[in-house]
Amino acid sequence: MNTVAVRVRRTPLSEHTVTPPCQVACPLHMDIREYVDLAAQGRIMEAMQVIRSGNPFPSICAYICAHPCEEACRRGQVDKPVAIRALKRFALEFGGDRMIEVEAETTRSERVAVVGSGPAGLACAYYLRKLGYPVTVFEAHSEVGGMLRVGIPRYRLPREVLDVEITRLTKMGVEIRTGTRVVSLDLVFDLGYRAVFLTVGAHQSLRMGIEGEDGAGVVDGATLLRELNLGLTPALGERVAVVGGGNVAMDAARSAVRLGVPQVSVLYRRTRAEMPADPREVEQALEEGIEFQYLVAPVRVRTREGRPEVTCVRMELGEPDQSGRRRPVPIAGSEFTERYDTLVTAIGQAPQVPDDFHVRIGRGSTIQVDPVTLSTNRAGVFAGGDAVTGPSTVVEALAAGRTAAGRIDDYLNHRYPLAPSASEAEWMGDLLPETVATIRTTGRLEPPVLSREERTAGFAPVEMAYDCQTATNEARRCLRCGLGAAIVAPDRCASCLTCVRVCPYHVPYADAEGAIHIPFDQCQACGICVGECPAGVIALRKAGELGQVDEELDHVLGSATRVTSKPMIVGFCCQYGVYGTGTLAGLWRGVKAGVWIVPVRCVTKVETGHLLRAFEMGAEGVFVAGCGEQCARENTGHWMRQRVAKVKRVLAQLGLQPERLEAFMWGENTHDPTEVLDEFAARVGGFYLDSVLLQEVKR
Amino acid sequence: MIVAEQKPLEDIIRMVRPYKKVLLLGCGTCTTVCNAGGETEVAFLHDALRMAEARAADGRREYSEATLKRQCDPEFLEHLTERVEGVDAVVSLACGTGVQALAERFADLPVFPGVNTSFIGMAVEWGVWDERCAACGDCRLEDTGGICPITRCTKGILNGPCAGPKNGHCEVSPDMECAWLLIYRRLERLGQLERMRRYYPPRNFRPISRPRRIVGKAGLEARGSHGDVTA
Repeated sequence: MNTVAVRVRRTPLSEHTVTPPCQVACPLHMDIREYVDLAAQGRIMEAMQVIRSGNPFPSICAYICAHPCEEACRRGQVDKPVAIRALKRFALEFGGDRMIEVEAETTRSERVAVVGSGPAGLACAYYLRKLGYPVTVFEAHSEVGGMLRVGIPRYRLPREVLDVEITRLTKMGVEIRTGTRVVSLDLVFDLGYRAVFLTVGAHQSLRMGIEGEDGAGVVDGATLLRELNLGLTPALGERVAVVGGGNVAMDAARSAVRLGVPQVSVLYRRTRAEMPADPREVEQALEEGIEFQYLVAPVRVRTREGRPEVTCVRMELGEPDQSGRRRPVPIAGSEFTERYDTLVTAIGQAPQVPDDFHVRIGRGSTIQVDPVTLSTNRAGVFAGGDAVTGPSTVVEALAAGRTAAGRIDDYLNHRYPLAPSASEAEWMGDLLPETVATIRTTGRLEPPVLSREERTAGFAPVEMAYDCQTATNEARRCLRCGLGAAIVAPDRCASCLTCVRVCPYHVPYADAEGAIHIPFDQCQACGICVGECPAGVIALRKAGELGQVDEELDHVLGSATRVTSKPMIVGFCCQYGVYGTGTLAGLWRGVKAGVWIVPVRCVTKVETGHLLRAFEMGAEGVFVAGCGEQCARENTGHWMRQRVAKVKRVLAQLGLQPERLEAFMWGENTHDPTEVLDEFAARVGGFYLDSVLLQEVKR
Repeated sequence: MIVAEQKPLEDIIRMVRPYKKVLLLGCGTCTTVCNAGGETEVAFLHDALRMAEARAADGRREYSEATLKRQCDPEFLEHLTERVEGVDAVVSLACGTGVQALAERFADLPVFPGVNTSFIGMAVEWGVWDERCAACGDCRLEDTGGICPITRCTKGILNGPCAGPKNGHCEVSPDMECAWLLIYRRLERLGQLERMRRYYPPRNFRPISRPRRIVGKAGLEARGSHGDVTA
């Protein structure tokens, strides 16, 4: 066989990748687009590795992340955002995350103390350990995890998940001292620690400031959840009211339901639209039979027979306040009184930092830090997490922990901290309404949840992981923001308008001077124009995308050409959706002839040259298999067929049967795909036999 | 724009058969735009030729690829001087002008046309081109509402329509609209139907004695036997 001539025709374009909105929105700046794409191809282990590389405790985020990425997801401008958090959970559960071990070596002598074992503290310990520092985490409670352990109920974050992450951390060599309350930072330094990271969290519930708040039967949400999570079973009685509209209120109310309380009410002073809790939490709370009373606020609590009697006032919404939400205004004379067995207050929490720490405290009892270095007013003392920001999300805490580890490393190396990255500046604009109109809507696929009865019977995790099929379909909804096509050599662009004419999304345009532009923030990265451009000057903004098919084809041909016993059939097969999950491999394994599969990330990436190359290297038959109507992009099958037709014309001119080349769109095919492929293989086998016979006759 | 069409592969194979080292040369202007001879088509032809050889087993040729901005200008051809060293023949995917310019510049090099230069025309949509101009050198579009009867009327008549149109379509090619009917409708819209009443005498072929030359620069007499078409 001849060696394959290597040609570099197109200018590669790897350095022009634009950060997608999801990645910008993620406090950890995880490479979401990449792992969603890998999940869409069924490459779950690779997806998991991408997730692991950007997040110290991804399995925790997979359960309870507040997913700011989904808020930023531009799929939401078309229909609903991609279910990124659920996809992450899928990738971790199916990718074997529990088996992963992280190793760390001690290369430094400076010991670092982390005060508090919440997500920020653990993340900081993780990254410091990876940098080679000996780290000790001090935890006041008997168990590790901070709010993850004492705040988040088990039905949202199973304790095994948390334990796996913590075990991984201790295996890395992080020393964790539970039941050890740090009372003085001077003592910590006296023990030989060179730097301290303060992450004491925000465990102190805010007071409502009303009469009778300290009476019997009144408890605050944080305390209730802490007791419950540390193994106690609080007696709540028959009627429970929870005051507040945030996630802690939801956690308290839903935990009460799980403790067997028959009647749980949530009292919130605004309406559902203004509730800060995750809408899905609210929805699930409603499903679980929790009663929501909106525009109601308690004004007085009296204890009667050991039970709280709560007087409430009805509210109406007035002018917007500083938070942008409309301010609730009491309606005069609307008071009413209800008797409950327990009243839970969950209107917010604040940090409680011991005075002996001698760190500067700012608004809302939070620790004041430099926003870039996270350093406090004391040398060597850094702070982060809820203790600095007030109650926030897990992912924010993890990001703060990671930043702190970097800044502590800078501090211990006497290095000037690097300026924060300018990734915010790369924020992509919205999709234009014209672009949105051309994008097909596909409903968001939610992961399955337990039924109401199964949920309220105990503290079992409410949400389950996707199955493979659903996960890949959900992942395919990603619009691949920022990976779009770009004209890499404008000087060679002939302004032929091919890209303008072939784009299913009407993205490229010609300006008045005749220059062609492909707006990166509108392009859907389908790749049609890349293959059709007659000047070959368009490339997708993704490293490794250019030449991916060439590499795979070379790889396959390298093996295939060594096998001479069977007629060689080369199939270019889409890797997305069901075909990525191995279905296709199963299909061709059943076929008798030697079928070699070249995996491609969408059939639009298969160019005429690839088809010819396969024939050149001795393939008797070649097929391209797309996923048909399943495709998340438009017209991909049409353009694949255009290219196949063009190569068929060449085959005919060379005296080869054009039937040796076929385009299959499985989704559109009513026949069994195996049958179709069998029929094709039989046909090619026939041509092969004919040509062998012909040669014999010639001899 | 000049529209061309790639030649059948067997023709190109036949042309390059005697040679060992062949340069496939694309043109970055007209034939790129009409999808006949740009960088992508050069690569496609390259792939097709290699595949043909792998199948035919009549010995291998060494192909190289290049694409110039335009082949019809001598200055651009200068960039080829190094590329053509050691090359036995060139297949040009430019229009006939490009092929001739190459042949003129590289006197010792066999040059072959890889495309058939078809017409001057425009894209109707992706992948479809229509002829619009015959380059007759005697433009009458002023009188015909901007629609050329020479190219768009199958019979090329100057005083149409003939008696042949059926339902607005040509009797010769029924899927084509009658150019003269289009002219009539257009003049009607413009309020210039009186132009239809005029008789247009037969065309004067004198100005298009070949080959034509245009001299745009001032102060220079046209040389030799060429007809001078400038005012």
